[in-house]
Amino acid sequence: MIARARLAALLIALALVGCQARAEPAETGYSAAGLYNLANSYARAGKPGMAVLNYERASLLAPNDSDIDANLRHIRDSLRLASEPRSWFDRTFGVAGPTVIAWTGVAGLGLLGLGVLAGRMTLRHRLIRLAVVAFGIAVVGVTVCNGIVLWPKLHEGVVITGATAVRVSPVPMGDALFVLPEAETVSMVAEHESFVLVRTRTGRTGWVSRANLAPVVAAKSDPGSR
Amino acid sequence: MKTDCMSSGWLIAMITTYLLAAASAVADVPLLYATIEPAQISMGQSAQYTITNLGSEAQSMQLPVVAGLNFQFIRQSRQLEFVNGIALPSVSIVARVTPQMAGIFSIPGATPKSPPLVLQVNPEPALGSYFTPRNTGPQVVPPILTGATIPSGIHLTEDGSAYVRLSIPKREVYVGESVPVEIDVGMRSGFVSSLNGLPKLTGDDFTLNNLSRAPERSEKILAGERFVLFTWRSDIAVVKAGTFSLSAEVPLSVRVRTQPRKDSLLDDEFGDPFLRNFFGPTVPKDINAASPAVELKVLALPAEGRPADFHGAVGTFEIASEISPATAEPGEPLTLRMHVTGSGNFDRVDSAMLDHVEHWKTYPPKSAFKPSETDGHKGEKTFEQPLIAMKPGKQVIPALAFSYFDPIARRYETARSAPLGVMITPSLADSALTAQQVSAGGSAAPENTYTAGLRPDHVVVGRLTSSLIPLYLQPRFLAIPSILALAFAGAWLHTGRTSRDRKIPVRKRRISKAANRLLAHMEAAARSGDPAQFFSCARTAMQQALGARWQLAPDQVTSAEVDARIRGEGHDIPRLFALADEAKYSGHDLHATDFARWMQIVRQQLLSDKSP
Repeated sequence: MIARARLAALLIALALVGCQARAEPAETGYSAAGLYNLANSYARAGKPGMAVLNYERASLLAPNDSDIDANLRHIRDSLRLASEPRSWFDRTFGVAGPTVIAWTGVAGLGLLGLGVLAGRMTLRHRLIRLAVVAFGIAVVGVTVCNGIVLWPKLHEGVVITGATAVRVSPVPMGDALFVLPEAETVSMVAEHESFVLVRTRTGRTGWVSRANLAPVVAAKSDPGSR
Repeated sequence: MKTDCMSSGWLIAMITTYLLAAASAVADVPLLYATIEPAQISMGQSAQYTITNLGSEAQSMQLPVVAGLNFQFIRQSRQLEFVNGIALPSVSIVARVTPQMAGIFSIPGATPKSPPLVLQVNPEPALGSYFTPRNTGPQVVPPILTGATIPSGIHLTEDGSAYVRLSIPKREVYVGESVPVEIDVGMRSGFVSSLNGLPKLTGDDFTLNNLSRAPERSEKILAGERFVLFTWRSDIAVVKAGTFSLSAEVPLSVRVRTQPRKDSLLDDEFGDPFLRNFFGPTVPKDINAASPAVELKVLALPAEGRPADFHGAVGTFEIASEISPATAEPGEPLTLRMHVTGSGNFDRVDSAMLDHVEHWKTYPPKSAFKPSETDGHKGEKTFEQPLIAMKPGKQVIPALAFSYFDPIARRYETARSAPLGVMITPSLADSALTAQQVSAGGSAAPENTYTAGLRPDHVVVGRLTSSLIPLYLQPRFLAIPSILALAFAGAWLHTGRTSRDRKIPVRKRRISKAANRLLAHMEAAARSGDPAQFFSCARTAMQQALGARWQLAPDQVTSAEVDARIRGEGHDIPRLFALADEAKYSGHDLHATDFARWMQIVRQQLLSDKSP
């Protein structure tokens, strides 16, 4: 019995170590500082769209970096683009980077499971067991709320060209509804071939050519930010 | 005497010289001159033109002919005029000048050496009439077309007030070919009061396209009568082969005279000449003026040699192509334009342009036609097709082709454009620029408003992650909580089975508590001497104990079940069940020592794990 439990624990540990190794940072990839420096470079080069895009990407990895937030606000203010302040929910549950939050969530899940199992196996230390279960639920809840905070940003895009026409239909000859300024951030609702259905902060929708829009979370690895 | 003779000779010479000078002065006076009053009028008003001949011959006096001005004879008078003290007879002709359009008119002088008269007519637009002059630019004096006799091809209406002429440059055309035509409508001055509609063709085999809304206006003299001439230009298209008769007609309103001319002359002389028609009182009448019929032979297009991309264009065309911008990124739309110029039926000029090109995404083209300013038969049709490059690098747009039928060469032709090159650069969002490269590229750019106020770069790059997607949303990371959850679920199930194993002593403990309660009731029944209550509690306790052992519900442990399971003489359990039934139904009196014995038996059975 004990031997089987030890074997199971060993297998679980090996699986966790393997997954953790897969999730470890790669030799090449994104970093908040690298994206921030790249955004600064684009800003100095007079490309506010690309600058805002990389600031947004950097803020995904480091949501509480004051430099990223300040420069992003500076660019938007310079372009007279609306900047929405972060809500208390965003500030509360975006307190750490998603990587830290992810591992914290795993730890919370572990505490939750252990607390429940302990209650199954013994009747002693009931209050301690309840506290452990409650703490595990809270930590898992923080991870879920962080996901709720980041989910809209994962589906946002930044206009990277000036005076981008928003069309009524996803074809190049579609009538233009309105024009988006460079560096404007929009929500990407749907895609059709080379066009993206976007929704602005004011609720207006229309189709934009993919060439004029860059998603905050790139579909593939973007070497430019490494 | 000699002196007197000389003085008289000088006097005669001086008189002779004076008479010669006077005769010369009379000879220098112009014998023919003209005046116009007033020199400036508005549309709808008239001026008075007077031409005077200082002689008795009135035959040499003629009213001038000026395009846009209508001269109406009013009267002729004779007077005596004194020039330098000499009485000269003169003849004057008075005419009313009515302008037909606004502008500045130059009226020729009475003699070739006389200076011209100038009449300025200010515009005063009227609505609803085709006679209304259009003040859309500098006034152009319409040319005067002269002709002494009616030329062939012109047939006046019965009353001689108007005519319509249809001019077609060719008598043999192809189906679908667009043929330019000219429709002339001549209206005799003073006879036609209004033009009631646009000209149209008779018959359903032809369609009249691009009829000019504003006709050209001129004047023409036919058989000595002045006609106002309106000219429309248009294209006709034939829809089927065969030989057809074609004519044009136009609705008019003419004025029919109702009073003899001599009476009207009196009205003009003594009444208000500006309110009466020169030829007397008239009434309007609507007529349809038609042109003589023209025979037209329409040939079918040959089926032999017809290109696959032929869409029915007949004429002479050339094509050229261009693309803009010449440099783009993948996914960025470009516009490919094909310009088709020439003459022909542009409504049938069509092209799908590029249908499928490797590494390109193509869309259906749109077209727009811009006719020539002078001839709607000619012009330029532009096709615009959006293209999207799917791959970076130098790309080549294939040559475009356009097929048409040339009616002059009588065969199908295919015009081709040259291939176009375009450079597709990598997308900015996907470019492999590093911060240093961007900085190097941006250093040459002028300082912008974003630079000031930016916080400095970070020195430490920090840890790298392979994706911007949060770790907890990456599938490979999700394996970790999944394994944990599975492990906890397995442990939960495992501990559940162990707990079932441990439930037996618990059940025993619970049974012992119940048995203790039953033993207490048995003791109470023994003290009170109630055998029925005693054995009832004893049997209940044994039912629970035996039920737990035999995996049965307590109520299933009956006397029959006990007899069946516990065999052998002298066993106490079946005897206990029998006594319980006996005490319950017969009220058997048991001795006090029996209570203690049965209490001991029940207690032993409850505490024992083994079956009896």
